[in-house]
Amino acid sequence: MRARRWSPGLLLSALLPAMVSGCMGTMPVPLNGLNRQLEQAGGHRNPSLGERWLAVIEQRGGREQVQLVDLQLQRPVPLPGLNRADALPISVSVDARGERLALVRQLEGRSEVVLYRRALQSLQPIAMSPGAIATAVNLRADGRQLAVQVSRDGLWQIDLVALP
Amino acid sequence: MLLGAAALGLGGCDSDSVGLGLFNRRQAPPAALGEAQQRRDPALSGDGRLLASIVESNGRSTVLLQEQPSGRVLPLRHLRGHRPHSSPALSWNGRYLALLLQQGTQTIAAIEDRLSGQLLRLPPPPGARIEQLSLAPDGQTLALQLVQGGQQRVQLFDLSTLLEPDRAAGMRSSNPLP
Repeated sequence: MRARRWSPGLLLSALLPAMVSGCMGTMPVPLNGLNRQLEQAGGHRNPSLGERWLAVIEQRGGREQVQLVDLQLQRPVPLPGLNRADALPISVSVDARGERLALVRQLEGRSEVVLYRRALQSLQPIAMSPGAIATAVNLRADGRQLAVQVSRDGLWQIDLVALP
Repeated sequence: MLLGAAALGLGGCDSDSVGLGLFNRRQAPPAALGEAQQRRDPALSGDGRLLASIVESNGRSTVLLQEQPSGRVLPLRHLRGHRPHSSPALSWNGRYLALLLQQGTQTIAAIEDRLSGQLLRLPPPPGARIEQLSLAPDGQTLALQLVQGGQQRVQLFDLSTLLEPDRAAGMRSSNPLP
């Protein structure tokens, strides 16, 4: 009988709960099925959770692109019009319903912030002030406000943008 | 012309020309009056009442929790001795604040329950480093970005056996915060 093989990632997710300590009682449970799928799909960074959604930047075949995973159905959903071959995603954030995604990406050497509405498959630019370089976004869970980390005059600052 | 309009919007004036991507915007309130600080890693609560961010304080990165739009700073019980902090995340009503903090030589994930005062700590697995986290708005799922063997990966954890849900008003199953 062959011993079961554990990949480093799965071993890691199995060990982590056993190492949890603190003031609260029991252990968090790794979502092994989803973790296995994510690991098999390649590298990932910049996770952002909605209530049943995970937005993430996937690294595969030397390219990076935004992916939205339905955690209940355990599969990615299409995002037509969001990913571009000539754009490099930097930071992504999703609202609670998985309807809106905010993205900082680098395009033609400049960073830009865009808001993607999944139901409309629309992509809308969010103008930044002159001299502000966006580097990270956080979308409020109700999708009505955006916090943007910007570099301005040598300082890291946070701009808050109300969304209709 | 458009850039000028966007610049005016930054000062708190409204420029709500949606098709042009010009929205009502402002800078996050400062932690102290007249002080220009480095601020990064913004995180909004789902109800928009709270903003968490990381500020540089005495050369160390410290999480700052503020009410919006007043900028009033709210106290955190457990975190002062564990800097540097990074990657904060808030649940819907701000009951839970998750972040990365320093414990000895390790960076660990932690979640402060602002209602009960409890702190949940999640150290990294051997050979792995936690770089970033995300907390679901209801506080029931945690995502960790880990680096191991030079590769970045994301791992998900179910917190429903540990934390009460912190849902939007009307769906709330835990007591509201003062």
